[in-house]
Amino acid sequence: MGQRALVYGIGNPILTDDAIGPKICDHLKINRPIPGVEYRTGAVGGLCALEQILGYERVVFIDAIRTKDGIPGDVYEFGLSNFKETLHLSSFHDLSFLSAIEMGKNMAFKVPGDIRIIAIEIVEDLVFSNSFSPEIEKKYPLILKEVTEWFDRCFVATP
Amino acid sequence: MKRYTIDPITRLEGHGKIEIFCNDDGSVQNVYFQVPELRGFEKFCEGRPVEELPMIVCKICGVCPEAHHLASAKAVDAVFGVEIPSAAKKLRELIYAAHYIHSHIAHFYALAAPDFVVGPTASPAERNVLGVIGKVGVQIGSEVLKHRRLAQEIQKELCGHQTYCVCAIPGGNNKALSEEKRKEFEIIAKSCVDFSKFSLKIFNDVVLANKQYVDIILNGPYALNIHSMGTVDANNKVNFYDGKIRVVDTKGVEICKYDSKDYRDHIAERVESWSYLKFPYLKAKGWTGFVEGQDSGVYHATPLSRLNAADGMATPVAHEEYQKMYSTLGGKPVHATLAMHWARLVELVYASERLHELCRDKEITEPKVRVLPTNTPSEGVGSVEAPRGTLTHHYWTDSRGIVKKVNIVVGTTNNNAPITMSIKKAAMGLIKKGTVVNEGILNMIEMAFRAYDPCFSCATHSLPGNMPMIVNIRDAKGEIVQTIKRG
Repeated sequence: MGQRALVYGIGNPILTDDAIGPKICDHLKINRPIPGVEYRTGAVGGLCALEQILGYERVVFIDAIRTKDGIPGDVYEFGLSNFKETLHLSSFHDLSFLSAIEMGKNMAFKVPGDIRIIAIEIVEDLVFSNSFSPEIEKKYPLILKEVTEWFDRCFVATP
Repeated sequence: MKRYTIDPITRLEGHGKIEIFCNDDGSVQNVYFQVPELRGFEKFCEGRPVEELPMIVCKICGVCPEAHHLASAKAVDAVFGVEIPSAAKKLRELIYAAHYIHSHIAHFYALAAPDFVVGPTASPAERNVLGVIGKVGVQIGSEVLKHRRLAQEIQKELCGHQTYCVCAIPGGNNKALSEEKRKEFEIIAKSCVDFSKFSLKIFNDVVLANKQYVDIILNGPYALNIHSMGTVDANNKVNFYDGKIRVVDTKGVEICKYDSKDYRDHIAERVESWSYLKFPYLKAKGWTGFVEGQDSGVYHATPLSRLNAADGMATPVAHEEYQKMYSTLGGKPVHATLAMHWARLVELVYASERLHELCRDKEITEPKVRVLPTNTPSEGVGSVEAPRGTLTHHYWTDSRGIVKKVNIVVGTTNNNAPITMSIKKAAMGLIKKGTVVNEGILNMIEMAFRAYDPCFSCATHSLPGNMPMIVNIRDAKGEIVQTIKRG
């Protein structure tokens, strides 16, 4: 892996399905230790998200998403051109993620050239719990497999 | 009856909804600010060892985790009846000053400045931080990000994680500050002092120099004549981390001043059927409804109220700016809601100066930052001034330290009634008979609550741990035609 890369699992670890990003990130950190790839978790968005990624060449965010009529457990991949609002990346408290990225570019900061967002359709993110909802719990092995395979294609097969 | 809905509220953490009910002639009849979100956090804490709470509560939300961490740590210290070492207290205050710096910078530049630098009725496509940078220059944008990042570096170093703090433990802190890091932090603090002064200069040059904006602040439909709450030190100066909670009335006269452990003697919480968020009020005045004035029980806990409730700032430049603000706005107390943005910048200067002071304090690198608690745990209260208001944590445990009950009064909860009243006042002032309600008008109504920097992701609580919901579908006359229930 020649490029400095960051994998960021976003979400609240005690808010039911919202924990899915950090949990997958932690799994990758243990099972896919790759030189040059850093793994981080937290609930950040807007300006904070921008501040976290400056200086990296490649960044992958793993976040939860809730879409109208979405099927729980579905995994989406977005780039900046087709980005949809995930649960954390766009914070009402500061900037939308795309505005933050634009702000970084305007100010000639070293914004990563390759930013991907892996978003997992979830069911519940309003209730505090250490466990996933039954639907996500049941599908978690498949979700993890799908994201890990995607990760392997991007980072292991073609570093 | 027409109904305008602003949902979701933009630039606000969590979910909230404003409903404006108009008469047939187009004038405003009533306004409801509703928070439909329930989180069940207090229930989630029950049954856990109390020493785990400071690490858990900072996960309530990503906006002010340090405030929850430190209020919780103080409550846990009280549960164990332990006095922490002086160096530990100063380290916690240092961490908290850094938190205030990045939080207030974000609010001013990302949330407040778009309304004043770009313009309150500008198109939403321009009324954002990019629009602000377009007006004031790219270099300033770089400085904004630089100083937020520097303040967060301090937090990350001392808290163990940027958002999920693990540093404050029962009896003190788990890590002392090295001399090497102290030197680094001192340089950062000095830079933050300069940047906070520069931010006030922008406010002077762009906002105060514009007569239209000053008119909006002072003469627009944004004033709210209510009481003010804030934490003060022994000299009645503003303090974010520790001190007594002081409340002054609408004329600036002290109503009460108390230790946080006595908060229930002074504050009661009212429930309204149309909101999941409680409405705290002053017991000394009683609940008299959503009304302003000397006899009302409504108070606010905001940057402006903190300054109103204090006799000044504890650092020199901040105190100078404090005096200038009150001199410009006609003396204390100030009731102009939008002056909160100015007060927030005065606090930014104070946080930076205090950070700088603490970085130069000889005791700050003392290795003894913890005493081991030996008392049997029982009950404790801790409070801090969160950037968006007084935050109180109250825990009850059994003799093994297992949590039996938790009560949390968060900053935004204190301001629930004032936010509701401010929005109503703004709506009534801006929407008259024949007014065309456009995006600009709606944004100016939103400005009334945005000044409070509200954050609801930690403000609502649910006992069942699930989110009950009732949806009433009403016709044009307000009659319910269908009800959907969940939970």
